[in-house]
Amino acid sequence: MTTPSETIEIKDIERLRAIEPRFRGLESGHRACQGCGEALGARLVLQAAGPDVVVANATGCLEVFSTPWPQSAWRVPWIHSVFENAAAVASGIEAALKAQGRQSKVLAFGGDGGTFDIGFQAVSGMLERNHNVLYVCFDNEAYMNTGIQRSSSTPHAARTTTSPPGKARMGKRHLKKDLVSIIAAHHVPYAASTSVAYPADLRKKVRRAIDIEGPTFLLVHCPCPLGWGHDGALTIEIARLAVQTGLFPIIELERGEVTEVMPLHKPRPVVDYLKTQGRFRHLFSDDPRALEEREHLQALADHNISTYGLAIDHADPLDSEEADTVRRGGLVS
Amino acid sequence: MSAAKKHVMTRGAWAEPGSSLAFKTGTWRVEAPFHQHRCAPCHDACPAGEDAQAWIAKIQEHRLQEAWEELVAANPLPAITGRVCPHPCETSCNRGSLDTAIAIHDLERFVGDAAIEHSWAYPWLAKKGSRKERIAIVGAGPAGLSCAYQLIRRGFAVSVLDALPEAGGLLRSAIPMTRLPRDVVDAELKRLFALGIEFRPRQQLGRDVALEDLEAEYDAVFLAPGCQQSHGWDVDGATPPDLHEGLHMIREWIDLGSIPKPASVVIHGGGNTAVDLARIMKRAGVAEVSIITASGLPGPDTDPDDVLNVVPREFDEAVEEGIVFYPHHTIKRLIMRGSQTTGVEIARLKKIPGAGGKKKRIAFEGTERVVHADMVIPAIGEIVDPAGLEELLDHQPYFHPDEWGRLQGRTTVLAGGDARGDRGTVSAAIGDGRKAAIAIAAMLDKRSLPDESRERIDVEALNLNYFTPAARAEPPKLKVAERTDQAEIIGSLSEGEVFGEADRCLSCGNCLACDNCWNYCPDNAVLKTVELASDGSHYVFDFEYCKGCGICAKECPTGYIRMRPEE
Repeated sequence: MTTPSETIEIKDIERLRAIEPRFRGLESGHRACQGCGEALGARLVLQAAGPDVVVANATGCLEVFSTPWPQSAWRVPWIHSVFENAAAVASGIEAALKAQGRQSKVLAFGGDGGTFDIGFQAVSGMLERNHNVLYVCFDNEAYMNTGIQRSSSTPHAARTTTSPPGKARMGKRHLKKDLVSIIAAHHVPYAASTSVAYPADLRKKVRRAIDIEGPTFLLVHCPCPLGWGHDGALTIEIARLAVQTGLFPIIELERGEVTEVMPLHKPRPVVDYLKTQGRFRHLFSDDPRALEEREHLQALADHNISTYGLAIDHADPLDSEEADTVRRGGLVS
Repeated sequence: MSAAKKHVMTRGAWAEPGSSLAFKTGTWRVEAPFHQHRCAPCHDACPAGEDAQAWIAKIQEHRLQEAWEELVAANPLPAITGRVCPHPCETSCNRGSLDTAIAIHDLERFVGDAAIEHSWAYPWLAKKGSRKERIAIVGAGPAGLSCAYQLIRRGFAVSVLDALPEAGGLLRSAIPMTRLPRDVVDAELKRLFALGIEFRPRQQLGRDVALEDLEAEYDAVFLAPGCQQSHGWDVDGATPPDLHEGLHMIREWIDLGSIPKPASVVIHGGGNTAVDLARIMKRAGVAEVSIITASGLPGPDTDPDDVLNVVPREFDEAVEEGIVFYPHHTIKRLIMRGSQTTGVEIARLKKIPGAGGKKKRIAFEGTERVVHADMVIPAIGEIVDPAGLEELLDHQPYFHPDEWGRLQGRTTVLAGGDARGDRGTVSAAIGDGRKAAIAIAAMLDKRSLPDESRERIDVEALNLNYFTPAARAEPPKLKVAERTDQAEIIGSLSEGEVFGEADRCLSCGNCLACDNCWNYCPDNAVLKTVELASDGSHYVFDFEYCKGCGICAKECPTGYIRMRPEE
């Protein structure tokens, strides 16, 4: 412990905020729910990207909670148009900046609804036209802003208001869309997935993507306490379990090829992840279909693990167990 | 808002562009995070009162001298305790739930040796000689020396009396050199006495000096005479004619180098004396050495209250050297041929809770067996030599003071160390000395005693996701064939191993400065500062914006952040 002479009284909290040793592109006072994974994800992305960026934001929670009239939580140039066109708006901004000879990087932000579904063709067009834009999809696996409707990113068997478990089926009937592979099929220089549970991995990938001249894509897994049915305090814990079970693989693809993955030394059983969330609670009922769906999700995780070669038989400093290991003063690796 | 505010006309309305900072999301909060330093299990378990977590944190920062200064705030003899302490800190270490406990005793030994090598100065709490009061301490063993150190660094004048010509007590007389080299004892004690402690050798209470004289001459007296008289020992009234007592034999061996060498020997007892003597005799050439003890052997399933009272590694080494143990046994009968001992009859025994919760020992009928031995040696402990202390002891074998060493009905006479009867380790004696010094200072200042109770943090309060298994550093050890009566068996860790080992510390209940709270807060409500905040960490909660989600508390690896309901 410290001696009294080393201790200072912190009174001037505004001064501390002003001299924070990191860039806060998304500032406090935003109206995200307690424990929001998306708010964390967006702050981490901008922390790594820095102030010299322009952001085009699709409709969604992120847009709504960050800009309640007449305030804004953004400390970078930021524009919102409609749900489906963030990629198109970003393309236009990038073309305009290019015409003006300016160097600012253009980012496009969208949720899974605005990326997997509604804005899908705009994203595809942006990639195809080779715009110098980093598109970041904050994936919380349903339309949370409008009341938790299923999206094509919602995992199989999850409960949403439009995929309720009942007599006909156990939650969502269809599978989560493999968006990263579709993006990679555009032959883009860089596409990757990451998670708010691993901020160092997330920031590293943002810096990497920013440095690339051309279209890049980042899928950020962000738990939603409200939509997933968990306590806000468990956001990181749950995001980490999604990675450690293999349900959300952390991968990097260059020109369509998998070049790097976050390996799993000891993959966890998917029930460890499922049991933490209300949206999977029906999978733990007496219904005989519950076991079948749990096994189905385990099979999907195992499929990810084998498809991307996630499993390793030795501990690695960058595997899903060790990548977040800390010691005095910060991360080990 | 400033005068520079702009009204922006849009097609729908006009807006006052503003920062969301104007919106204080802190009003949403129903629970608030707070920092709380809790007592790490190692600190809680240390009989000497060391906060191992605190000084290991200094090693993690590669500040060895500061680590030593933090350590000697409680214990002035780390080079000694690092070698001889049975380290209950490691038994309680939360890291044991992840892989293996931190090698705290190896770190302590390294830091203590470094202090000797570099002659680091003990930190003072008051100006030397700033107090006029004088305190007498009887016994220059660990308890007396610890008390003297704590008093002199508070400005008092201190005299230490001992019956022997040299200070050290059982550090010199009872612990084999293979465990504690005498140059280490010499170096630690020389530095301690250099602080200005007066040493009065050859002063035996009741022979050379009377307690009344000390009470008249000094403002307070701390009695730490140790246990110098053997416990009475017999088996149903019978004793071997050639009875030698264990501790006495070790003393003779240390002083004179002589030890009897029968063909086989049985030692009765379950402490360091029994194990040390067994190893000395085995090394001297006694072919069969057995230890009969009512306690159990160290092991994961053994009740900690029912285990050999020895340093665990000493037990391992004794087994390596071929000592045979009979745990949970007692001697029922001596077998004699004429006046010559030929063996003992032993039986299985267990300490079982009896009526009133007091444990009683039961020897089970039908489990008797015979162990042949030419010599039977009791090593079952010692009692206080009552000479000069008859009135205080009142026919009791030990003193029974409170936890601060205060004896009932006496204000200026305190007692501690082995003479309490409920201690038995160097570290516990050092703790007694420290507490008695605090009690004496409080008594002289007419202050109340400090509250040393603290909430302890257990492994459930940590987030072990942020730690990964790492092998514990093991110090070099002499092979059985290379062991002698003099050479120290266990070696030291290297500096690199020490830094690596310290990095394994989980920092239970104290900030690790890992940035997790700062990294994970979705609301930028944790501010990082290069200055230390008033609570000792580098992070400050901004309650204007904290929504109370609890992520910081959940993801704090060390349990330093907790949540409480908002008032």
